[in-house]
Amino acid sequence: MALAYADRSFRWVTLSPAALFLVVLGVLPVLNLVAMSFFTIVWKNAAADWQPVGLANYAAIPGDPLFSAGLRNTVVFAVASVAIQMVLAFFLALWCSQVRTGRTLYRTVLILPLLVPGIVVGAIWKLFLNPEFGFLGQMLGVVGLDPIDWLGEAQTALLAVIMVDVWHWTPFCFLLLLAGIEGLPRDVYEAASIDGARPWQEMLWITLPMMLPTILVTAVFRFVVAFKVFDEVYLLTGGGPGTATQVISFTIYQRFFTEDRAGFGSAISVSVIFLVCLMLVAALAVRARLQERPA
Amino acid sequence: MQNYSIGRRSATAGLAMTALTAATRPGFAQAKLPTLSIVINNSPWFDGFKSVVDRYEKETGNKVELDVNPFGGSLEKQRSSVRSAKGQYDILIMNSSWFTEMYFGGFCEAITDVDPGFKLDPGIYTCDDTCFFDPASKTMTAQGKLFSMPINPNIPLLYYRGDLYKQRGLTVPKTFDQLLANAKALHKPPQIYGIAQRGARGVAAVSYDFYPYLFGFGGGLFRDQKAGDYTVLLGNDKGHAAMEYYMRLFREAGHPKAAAFDQAEVLQAVATGKAAHAIAVIAAWPQVDDPSKSAVVDKMELAPPPSLPGLPTSPALGHWLAGISKNVPDDHKRAAVAFFRWFQTADAQIFYTRAGGVPVHKAALEHPMGQERKFRWMKPMAEALPYAINPFRFPESPEVVAILELGINRVVAGETTAAVGIDTMTDQIVKLMTEKGYRTGRG
Repeated sequence: MALAYADRSFRWVTLSPAALFLVVLGVLPVLNLVAMSFFTIVWKNAAADWQPVGLANYAAIPGDPLFSAGLRNTVVFAVASVAIQMVLAFFLALWCSQVRTGRTLYRTVLILPLLVPGIVVGAIWKLFLNPEFGFLGQMLGVVGLDPIDWLGEAQTALLAVIMVDVWHWTPFCFLLLLAGIEGLPRDVYEAASIDGARPWQEMLWITLPMMLPTILVTAVFRFVVAFKVFDEVYLLTGGGPGTATQVISFTIYQRFFTEDRAGFGSAISVSVIFLVCLMLVAALAVRARLQERPA
Repeated sequence: MQNYSIGRRSATAGLAMTALTAATRPGFAQAKLPTLSIVINNSPWFDGFKSVVDRYEKETGNKVELDVNPFGGSLEKQRSSVRSAKGQYDILIMNSSWFTEMYFGGFCEAITDVDPGFKLDPGIYTCDDTCFFDPASKTMTAQGKLFSMPINPNIPLLYYRGDLYKQRGLTVPKTFDQLLANAKALHKPPQIYGIAQRGARGVAAVSYDFYPYLFGFGGGLFRDQKAGDYTVLLGNDKGHAAMEYYMRLFREAGHPKAAAFDQAEVLQAVATGKAAHAIAVIAAWPQVDDPSKSAVVDKMELAPPPSLPGLPTSPALGHWLAGISKNVPDDHKRAAVAFFRWFQTADAQIFYTRAGGVPVHKAALEHPMGQERKFRWMKPMAEALPYAINPFRFPESPEVVAILELGINRVVAGETTAAVGIDTMTDQIVKLMTEKGYRTGRG
């Protein structure tokens, strides 16, 4: 009994520095952000003057044209890019799991885009999509078509950013899904094969159901990251033309940093954190339901 | 080998002369100064400033460290430095879009508070008196204290293809109608576009491109900022006419991708011979005449931006001022003043000009080198500069600029019409100024 107590105490003592570290680094900044969202911060005589405004910053959010445009585009961006990435990555992973020769080479090649820094991704694609000097424009010219200004037209700009995101992040989904597929029990497939199952039936009735938790986790993870997209938009379009590619992170950046509206920027940030948490809770609930299902 | 012997009297006299010479060279013979730290943006005129700093170090033996950043990055670093207990930078190179924030926030020390004996050279262009500030009345007039040293009086000028003008027998446009006619005459897409406009949304992109049109039509943003009257004039007839014209120019002779064109794209279009005209900042000029960067070397000419008949050219200041951080040690502040004292001399300014900078001293702008082909920008610059307008004199200006950037970009991108766009922006600015407690309304 005394030993168990000592053991528990030891655990607490050894754990508390890490827990404290986590609180200081993780929770306090968020609390500070929440506190800031109830103030307007003005600089006078080289000192910050925090003026309480209650919920005014939150009340102003729905009327902010950059917030509404940003939220709409972010949802479209996140849903479209993650959906395309998941489908592409799933089939790539399925195909790659069958290949036996040159595994290292193809895996390396497929994950290369993931290793490219965001700033380089921006430079590569801005040049590639340039209607006058870009490779794509030149190729269209060769076949007699007019070059398209992918990033400069309101109708195509968001699509182009989604395309770049798919190129950049599909390898991430591919890696997770490949690990999932390679971890599936082979005996189930052998049994199905003995029963005369065709490949598409194996995929539909064995691979997909067994992969569902992995697919869900990957999709949720990617969706959360996609919801926070910033660098690709900042580098490729700056949110324009108009508000065609305005995303929520870019709105926060503009309000918080460019315009130096720390209070209002904090209110938008807190709202976005709340939204992302809601999505995570919903996803975890769905996952729990799936895991409870009888095999 | 001849031996020279120096007597005690000669040595003493020599030392005395040296000391006297050093003491009479203003500011160059102070006690050893600490290394001066300057935060600056990497704009096209940076090379000129770097050369002048190198020369300062060589002439005085003082040391300078430059922290060079992109435009927005420089602002972020300045904010971070001035808001901390101990500043990282002694001199802040502040753009016209954010110097008010530094003045009003109490982040800059008046130059004359650091050194009451400092006098601004009468030849220095004061950039619409924005280098002065009175912290009590929050106004920028010559009666205020000297709060910064002008570094670059950047304004936009009309760039036009002189070679094509000669071929077609066109005359340099002084009015907007003439500009439209000339731009249409040279508009042969996709080989060449009549004009490249900076229609993209940025920190200060499309709004800055629009100001010469707005002011050139006799319009304005506010009625009289110096007198504290912030009645918004953007939505009046002149504002509407300016926006209609801006869009007409875009539709009839503009580059079709203007909504995504920021300064880099405009300059690219000019340098590759794709644009017959552009209204662009003078600071970008060195690129246009640089054979390693331009296909139109010696083909571009410059003129003051056009205006309505009877009205003067009205470029907007996009200038740069150097302020001294309040939160740095006193000896660093003195080092900053020593640099300013040297920088404002006619000699330094002429050197600065030759090195690719845009001078702030009359002696440099009116120097005979302006007759040289390489410096053909100086005459139109000197003509336009006295009419340059500083668009903002209050610290919340970034919020107004954000409204303008989004609103004008939406018009250029076709998301809304010119009339609706102007009215929406006007309403938003009135709302904002009301919330901030300014005397405002629609004018």
